[in-house]
Amino acid sequence: MRRPTASQARAPATVLALLLIVVLVLPPLLSAYWIDVLTAVAIYSVVALGLNLLMGRVGLVSLGQIAVLALGGWVAAKLAFATSIPFPLVLLIAGLITLVLGTLVGLPALRLSGLYLALITLMLAGAITVVLSTTNFPNGGPGFLGHTESSFGNPSVRRPDIAGSDPGYFRFTVIVAAAMFALALWHVRSRPGRAWAAIRQSEPAALAAGVNITLYKLWAWALASFMTGVAGGLLAGSVGKLYTYQFPTRDSIILLAVVLMGGIYSLWGAVVAGGLMKLLPALLDDWGLPADLLTILFGVGVLQVLLTAPGGLAAQVPKDLARLGGALSAVVRREAARAERAPTGPAPREPAQ
Amino acid sequence: MRRHGRIAVLILVLAAASALAACGADDGGDTTGDQTAVKCGAGTGQKATGAPIKLGAIATKQPGTDFTDIPNMAKAVFDCVNDNGGINGRPIQYIIETEQTDPGQVASLAKKLVETENVLGIVGNTSIIECAVNHGYYEQKGFYVINSGIAPECYSTPNSAPVNMGPRYSVDGATQYLIRQGVKKLVLDQSNVPGTGYIEGGFLLIAQAAGIPTESLKDNVPIQDANSIALKLVQAAGRDGGVILNFTPPEALKILQAAQQQGLHDRVKWACSTPCNTDFLAEALGPQWNGKLGVNAELNLTSAAGPDSELYRAVQKKYAPNIPLGSFSQMGFVEASIAVKALMSVTGEFTATSVNQAFKNVKNFQTDILCKPWYYGDAPLHVPNNTDRTVVPQDGKMVEKEGCFPISDVDPAIKQVRDIEARG
Amino acid sequence: MPSWQDFQPFIVAGLALGGVYALSGVGMVVLYRTTGVLNLAFGAVGAMGALIAWTLINTYGWPEGLAYLVCIAFGAAISLGYGLLAGPPLAGRDPLVKAAATLGLALILLGTMSWIWSDKARSMVLPTTTWRHEVGEVLINWTQILALALGVLITLTTAVFLRRTGLGTAMRALANDREITASLGVPVRRVEATTWVVSGALSGVAGLLLSNLVGLDAATLTFLVISSLAAALIARLRSLVVTLAAGIVIGLVNAVVTPIFSISPYRDMTPFVLAAVALLFLARHQQISFARRIT
Repeated sequence: MRRPTASQARAPATVLALLLIVVLVLPPLLSAYWIDVLTAVAIYSVVALGLNLLMGRVGLVSLGQIAVLALGGWVAAKLAFATSIPFPLVLLIAGLITLVLGTLVGLPALRLSGLYLALITLMLAGAITVVLSTTNFPNGGPGFLGHTESSFGNPSVRRPDIAGSDPGYFRFTVIVAAAMFALALWHVRSRPGRAWAAIRQSEPAALAAGVNITLYKLWAWALASFMTGVAGGLLAGSVGKLYTYQFPTRDSIILLAVVLMGGIYSLWGAVVAGGLMKLLPALLDDWGLPADLLTILFGVGVLQVLLTAPGGLAAQVPKDLARLGGALSAVVRREAARAERAPTGPAPREPAQ
Repeated sequence: MRRHGRIAVLILVLAAASALAACGADDGGDTTGDQTAVKCGAGTGQKATGAPIKLGAIATKQPGTDFTDIPNMAKAVFDCVNDNGGINGRPIQYIIETEQTDPGQVASLAKKLVETENVLGIVGNTSIIECAVNHGYYEQKGFYVINSGIAPECYSTPNSAPVNMGPRYSVDGATQYLIRQGVKKLVLDQSNVPGTGYIEGGFLLIAQAAGIPTESLKDNVPIQDANSIALKLVQAAGRDGGVILNFTPPEALKILQAAQQQGLHDRVKWACSTPCNTDFLAEALGPQWNGKLGVNAELNLTSAAGPDSELYRAVQKKYAPNIPLGSFSQMGFVEASIAVKALMSVTGEFTATSVNQAFKNVKNFQTDILCKPWYYGDAPLHVPNNTDRTVVPQDGKMVEKEGCFPISDVDPAIKQVRDIEARG
Repeated sequence: MPSWQDFQPFIVAGLALGGVYALSGVGMVVLYRTTGVLNLAFGAVGAMGALIAWTLINTYGWPEGLAYLVCIAFGAAISLGYGLLAGPPLAGRDPLVKAAATLGLALILLGTMSWIWSDKARSMVLPTTTWRHEVGEVLINWTQILALALGVLITLTTAVFLRRTGLGTAMRALANDREITASLGVPVRRVEATTWVVSGALSGVAGLLLSNLVGLDAATLTFLVISSLAAALIARLRSLVVTLAAGIVIGLVNAVVTPIFSISPYRDMTPFVLAAVALLFLARHQQISFARRIT
């Protein structure tokens, strides 16, 4: 186990500081609109995190994560209306049930190779979407499906007692999201992470080294399902009412695009992905630009990442910034050196052209 | 020409293709508009220059559903009013937010309008879920919204008064039309979106009261198998049966065209709720459908005579030539006209309170675009437009077949509304 | 439960619907077998071509035949552009990566279409749609027959072409391994370009036909690929004949379920369920696959 370097040891402190700022300082500064937007960013970051882990660590692509999000939301809404279990526990149970469902799908599906796995997840997501559009989401009605058509004055999914207000719920969401990221980080740093790295490097070699490939692939799949299920619960509590509109198949493709653009080799990429998916549309709307521009941008982004920059923005931006910083410091050094060489008097005369 | 160059080339190719197409996409109307002056509002012909009065709207705009024609037409009216002295010299600033049926987004946009943009009133909302998501917020903030309703909550909550009739009552009207045509069985087909139970409610009661058997069906949109659907509906209706469609125009068109391609348009009687009331659809359907599709029209014909209809066409011609004439733009026109009249009645300061009070106090708003005068008032629900016409396609246009008739009060909500109206 | 008499017209309608899925499915499998790319933008390319043709006819008054040719040419041009841009850099990568890249193209096209052509009820009637033919109780039109016939034609000619002609063999070799094929002296760029042009033209033709069979609507046509993909998946992206058959079966099942009101709302699941079942069935004996190349 390698000793963490100095910068790696500093990292948790900076992350914690950032988290404290977001949770404590931001909410009073932002209007209700931006708090809503950032809550959505936090929720979708967790969804992106699931896909980020699958793609970046294990090399699996799922085109059905949004359907999993819908399932998680369904379970959470059902629990919230049918029982009086405290909300954090509802989230946990929703996540666990989604984990079980995801594992059931993963057991047969993970035998398939990359492209087929991606396509079968697309197929399953399509099937789930059709079923959900017929059964709808629980909204306090009777029966197992819990959906009632008469929608006059329907109750909303209840929020945790301490986080009923919008800023309060924002803080709650960010903390839960941070917990999910911590869970992901713990996985990456310990045995599953090493197994995933081995699998990603070379499956035959990993197999030869005695890594139980099926188990670890399934573990990653289950983890991604769990996180997405929890995110579904957060979504249910965020707006209070769930509709099939929120989970179109199209969004699964957009999710893939933003996760790629954010960068799959770093967990920060998931945060960037959440921002691309939910913050960017709000900004564009603010600037009066059409939402279609974003679809085009995501398409270009996917091409860009796959063709040239596999690390995505999370890897590219630090590199670009570093390059920018390097260029700036080079300029500064050059000017300083020139100043040193000619300390007083006018600058040396330029040679005649 | 390395990596970045390649992507640039691809984008350039696409941009070129798009630019060529964009030069004349849709109807390729004259974008500069007519130059003759149109008199709206105060009719002074002078540009308004004071401090703007802010109003807001939220409309759905996503692939498959685009309601922005309605607030865009309202904006055209406000532009015209601003060119004619505005509201006591102050121009109206209209902020239109578009949403993609994401409840989180829809909720946040309402907060953006009210708390960040500080709009004084909300008029022109047209959204699949907005009323459902935001009505509680509007009640809390004391905003009385004038909108084009779709969701059930638009017609069942105190702070929402639509100028249209909405899917349920429009389907009621189509049902009444088909019953008058003497059908022996009624089939309703609607798009499978939340609210289908609410929409079919009136249909079932009215058919039951008339002693006619029914079948209520749903289909997912976007439709991929229109042929099967058309067959299914005709089979379910049987001989001397009637079919009512409740879909957006592109989807209804798919079913109707499939029916025609299979020769089914003569097998049963066809009717459609009000979204079908657009000349675009009449044109796309062609002469085979002349007189064969009864469309419930919440508003008068776009070609009707009458001062408001003429003003509507004049405003459209000058300020919004790219918005087609049809029920959507008519709704936008009416909503904006109501708002303008209400604003003109405000004495004293323009605040959110005073503007919303003015909206709520609108009474007896006469217009030849609606069958009956429109009103808001203090009531637990608002269905001020509850009298309709029936139009049919004829040679590429919609023409009137039945004049104004009241929606049946077998539908309990309508009965409640008529009682409220009777009380004054 | 409807009677046999009531089912008959749905069987005919189902064949027509099956022709839709079969045509798109076959188009995608042909491209996959010749370039190794599963083009998920197949529907979007056709949709944009059809919309451009609509604009040319309705806004500029061009003659219909010319507009249709432009649609097909557009499909060929966009596909060629994409193939030249994204083909070589992704050549050695996993088929998954190549397919994901086409999703990027699909998003770009979808966004562009949404932007330019906002949502209106559009209709573009091909002349073949007006020629009708009575089969039992049902009227079918020549566009439906054409879609099915085209699917069959492509299946047959491609099978022969790929196996018997020099160009076809070059295409198969190219799909298998670009580097080795290039080192064997095959003009790789030219073969690739030809494949993309043909595939693009096919997208354009499919777009025209589908706009009549399903509707001239950007989102519907773009996401139709997902249902057609099911047919391609059942054939494991290999056999054209199986794709054709699968497409027809999916269409049939979908249509035949329609009049059974109790399960009718779930009929849109047909392609997905059939594909998932077929894939999982085929995977039951497989170990974790190490395949980095397509066969």
